[in-house]
This record gives sequence, C-alpha cells and structure tokens, in this order.
Amino acid sequence: MPASLSRRHLLARSSAAGFFMVAGQWLWLTPHEAEARTFEPQILSSEQCKALSTLGDALVPGAAIAGLAAYIDLQLQAGDQSLLIGKYLGVDTSAQTSFYRAAADNVIAMIDEHTSMQTVIAGMAADTLPEWAGPPASYVLFVLRADALDVTYGTPEGFENLGIPYMAHIMPEQPW
Amino acid sequence: MVSENPDVVIVGAGAAGLMLAARLAEGGQSVTVLEAGPERKLSELTSSQIWARKLKWSEPAVSESGDHKIGHAFNAGSGTGGSAIHHYGVWLRMHEGDFSLKRDHGLGLDWPLSYADLAPHYDRVQSEVGLSGDADQERWRPKGAPYPMPPLPLFAQSRVLARGFEKTGRHTSPLPLAINSQPYQGRRSCQYDGWCDAGCPIGALGNPLVVWLPRARAAGVRLEHGARVSRVIRSASNAQHIKSVEYLQDGERKTLRADRIIIAAFAVQSVRILLSSASEQHAAPGNHSDKLGRYLMTHPAATVFGLFEEETYPHQGVSAGQLLCHDDYDNKNASGGFGASQWMIGHAIKPHDLLGYGTGRPDISGAELEPWLKRAARHLGNMTLVCEDIAAHENRITLSDRLDDDGIPYAHTHHDLDPAAAARWTQRMSEGADIMRAAGASEVWSGPRIGMHILGGAVMGDDPAQSVTDAFGRVHDTDNLYIAGTALFPSSGAVNPTFTLTALASRQADHLLGKS
Repeated sequence: MPASLSRRHLLARSSAAGFFMVAGQWLWLTPHEAEARTFEPQILSSEQCKALSTLGDALVPGAAIAGLAAYIDLQLQAGDQSLLIGKYLGVDTSAQTSFYRAAADNVIAMIDEHTSMQTVIAGMAADTLPEWAGPPASYVLFVLRADALDVTYGTPEGFENLGIPYMAHIMPEQPW
Repeated sequence: MVSENPDVVIVGAGAAGLMLAARLAEGGQSVTVLEAGPERKLSELTSSQIWARKLKWSEPAVSESGDHKIGHAFNAGSGTGGSAIHHYGVWLRMHEGDFSLKRDHGLGLDWPLSYADLAPHYDRVQSEVGLSGDADQERWRPKGAPYPMPPLPLFAQSRVLARGFEKTGRHTSPLPLAINSQPYQGRRSCQYDGWCDAGCPIGALGNPLVVWLPRARAAGVRLEHGARVSRVIRSASNAQHIKSVEYLQDGERKTLRADRIIIAAFAVQSVRILLSSASEQHAAPGNHSDKLGRYLMTHPAATVFGLFEEETYPHQGVSAGQLLCHDDYDNKNASGGFGASQWMIGHAIKPHDLLGYGTGRPDISGAELEPWLKRAARHLGNMTLVCEDIAAHENRITLSDRLDDDGIPYAHTHHDLDPAAAARWTQRMSEGADIMRAAGASEVWSGPRIGMHILGGAVMGDDPAQSVTDAFGRVHDTDNLYIAGTALFPSSGAVNPTFTLTALASRQADHLLGKS
C-alpha cells in the first residue's frame, strides 16, 4: 500500500476493498476489481494466489472471479486485524500467512497433469493425501471453502444472486 | 465528575462495566472506565457478517486446548460495548435450581446467593433495558415482573418449526429478547433484518451503547479507549488494598489510583489481569487457594437444520430466533446425561459466515452448491440447542509462556466437557432431529458442537478457600478489588448469560453505593 497511508487508515475505510498494486500503481479496488485487473499480490506469490483461487472456485464456483485470492492477500496484509474467517476457526491471526502459504504450496505440489483438482479435493476432504504437510487437509478445505463463500455470497450482489433481500441497516460502502 | 484519581476504576466497557459505571456515577461516584479496544459508534455498525468480525476479540490471541474449546475469538468482543455489542439479545433468567447445583445434585458449585436475591435486579434491569416477551407463555419462567413490551412477531420459519415441538408434545413460547418490539424509551423498534451479529445501529437491540453508555456519559463517567490493563498493584503498606491499575495506552505505561477497582474485562481477560498481578511477595489477588482461573465454563451448543417443502424465508427475523423451549429444563437428573437445556428456535440466518447454512454443509460444493443455496434461502429452518456445562476444577485459564509485544503474557484456556454434560447434549441433539422431522423437514442435518458463552474463572462463593470472590464480587483477600461479569458465575445453567450478569452487576452497584 502507499507509504503515506497507515495500515489502520486502510482498515478504517473498509473491511474488504483496499489498495491493490496494479501495473506499478496503488489503486483502491474491490477484490473483484483487483482480480479483473491482475493485481500484484503482496503476501502470497502469484502462483500461490492462483492455486487458492482455483481450489476456491472448484468448491464455490464464482469465487475466483469474485476475487478470492485478492481478498485473502489483502486481509493477510492486515495482520492482527485480518477479517478472514480463520479468526473464528482457530487460525491465530499471527499464523494466518503461514497457514495460507502452506495450503497453497500443498495444492501446487498435488496438482499435476495426472491429478485433477477434484481428486485433490476428495483427498483433502478425506485426509488421505500422503504428501500433505501442515494443518490437516480437511480443515484447510473447510476454511478455504468458507472464505470462498464469504467473497462470493457475503455481498449484496451475492445475496441478490440467491434471491435474498440484503436489507442493510447500514449498507457497506464496499461489497461488504 | 472527572478526576485524576477517581473513586472507582472499571476495567472493561462491556455490559457489566458500563452498567456499573452508569449506576455508580449516578450515585455520586467519580468513575473512569479503561477499555482495551477501540471506540465503537452506532453509526459505524455496518450490515455485513464479514465486517462484523471487527467487533470480535482482536487483541492478542487467546490459545485454547481441551476437547470442548471455549471459542474465545467468536464469543468475546473488544471496544465499547464489549461482547454485548454483538450479542443477539436473548435475555433469560437463570432458573432457581441453577443456583444450587452442588447442594441439589452433588455436582459443580453453588452460588452464594439465590434466585430470590437476584429477582429484584432482574425486574429492575429488564425495565431499564427493555425486554420483549410473553411471561405467561413461558410456563417454566421463574417468578418475576412481566416484560415491558409484547413479544416480537413470528415469521414463517418459526411457525413451521413450532409444529415440530407441538407434534412431539413440547411447548414453545416467544423468545424473550432485549430487542424492541415497539418504540421504547426513545429507541426504535426492530426491523427484523437479521444483522444483529454486526451490532444494531438503530438502537432496537439493547446493547450497552444505547442503554448504559448515554447514562454513563451524562453522569460524567470518563471513558478511555485503547487502554490495555496489564495488572493491578497492591499497596505496599496494606497488602489487602489494591492501590492502582497499570495499563498501556498510546505506547506509554500508565497507572491510575482509585479507591475501588472493578475488573469487568470478560472472563478470560479479567482472570489474565489478576494472574498477571502476582508479585514475589504476594500471590495473585484472589489466588490464595489456587482457585483463580478455575471452573471455566462454556455452554455446549449446536444448531439443527432442516429443509422444508414450504417456504420459510429464513432471512426474516432476528439472529437470536423467535421461539423458546425450556421443557425439562429443571429436570437436570433425567436419564441420558446431566444438565438443563434449551432450544432457541428460528434464527434469521445468512448463507455464509461461521453460522451460515452454506458454511455448515461442506459436503456440498461445485456445481451443486448454488442451486442448493437458493433452495435453502427460501426453505430452511434452524434452531439451536444450548446445554448446561458443569464447573470442573481442571478447566481453567492460565498465563501462557508467550508474551505479546508489550511484554504482557497471553492467556491460555483449557476446557474439557464433562461426560454427563456431553451425554445430555448428544441426547438433546437426537431429539432435535426428531423435532425437525416432525415439523416436516425432508432433510435434516446438524452443525458441530461449539462452545457458546464464556463463564467462570473467578467464581463467587461463601468459602474463601473454594472461591475467588464473595457474593458481591469482592476478591476475598482484598478490601477494594471487585470482579464483575460472567467470570463470577459458579454455574452456567443453560441460558444466555447477559441478563444474569447485568442483574448481578445491578446488585453489586447497590452494594457499592451502600444500598444493600
């Protein structure tokens, strides 16, 4: 983010939108917009972002285009103010970056020309991937699926897509 | 009244802290409240389940162990209003038998007071806060004044679910809520849009920002945010006297003296502060018999879901639910386990977030997901079971070996669920599935067992060797240090604790003002 802006300033403005680096410039974007404009991740690698995005989209179709990777990378920048659902699920905010990096690296290592994402997901759900390292694969799957639900359906647009009136008291300035 | 060294320092601006601040200041005391979190305003309470996570605990993490963890990050809060800013407003009285668990059943602990001691305060507080309900329909309700407002209306979901209770011979009543069913004391009535978890910016839900904070401000209470208390300090000349509070604010270490100090920082942090106050000369206040931090409790709870052919519109209503069932509450010794239990029925629910119906079905993903979500969005029913926990000596809050950036130890919690309480939970969950099917659900499933609410850790009692405080929350080995909030609870009952902790604080306030 721009050096002139503090982390708390960013967090005060929005819980989801934020400054994303796009083509060498910091732009205030939603994760969906950042994804569409090929943002440059600040915490995860591009390859890790792609892995998480692909996995999330296989679980919750639409998550990739909604900006799942951008959302995760942005929230990881927020450190102990991260709003990722891992906060509720026992992933200490101080450990979230290593959690998501490990998740992505595992997926990258599992996927090859002989192994589909569906096979990996089935193995994660059953905790039967012998090469999996780090937190249990089924737990990682649950967390990432919840993140994907957040970014895809946790917005006024997501509600509308499901036919639910959002009925906000105070409408979020940004998608949520 | 503002002074450098106030009469009273209160640590924590939650339900208990702000209530005590308002009452004591109105009684002529000068009061300063130290709140670790940020200032919260109604105008920023954004309707978003993701934004709502800002209201939860985000100070240094609390590590957890045990087979039934307390869920600190979800249950706790920080900032003005504490956890009560995101509470759902279920205000239930504990039953008479909840106060005498050991005496009646040989389990857990007894309170050093009875329901009768709290009843006047339940009555007074419900008038001040504003509760909606129908006391006559609560056939299980302990004696008390009727609610000041009629119950909230029932929506389609609860009418469908009530059928299941009726068909299985059970009873329901409107869920009593600290939510306005009509304008009350200048506050608006509810709009039934289910954003309670993100805080209620219209003031319909009686959280501390709209009930106690205005009164506290008007009475001159000084409220400091970002003031994280590290410890309390004993007087060098009188070890029973706590002379000051040490806290960190804006990168500075500060101390504040006061005649009386009240720790109302929710169960875990209240205990953390006291444990951190041990010195080479003295044990931590209240820990002379190794009881500080012990008897940590959390209600074993879970949600049962069902899908119906008819439309239920589960986005309508309030997060807490619409109906209540306390059948068999007082029959704690019934076969199949031990403890009271209750059903909260018909929660307004979202598709995502921890309690969302999409999150609760990890078996559905890919192309099947969206059609299923669309169906659930119109046809879902859900209700939550809350069971009683049993206070156990081994379940406790301790200091972690880890220190935060300011050198303050993190808190660690350990909680295992008593097998008898776990058996009751299993039994009731099975019954819940039967009720859901009796209501007509074609598909029934359950969420995982979670820890709901956090209680104990600085329990009150008559025997100083077996408890941390007396019946008014005064720490036994001190003359001016008090605990307030759920940390004091020697038993959990199976009801949401905000009403009881507030009634308890009301009783404490009267005591501190010399009225009892």
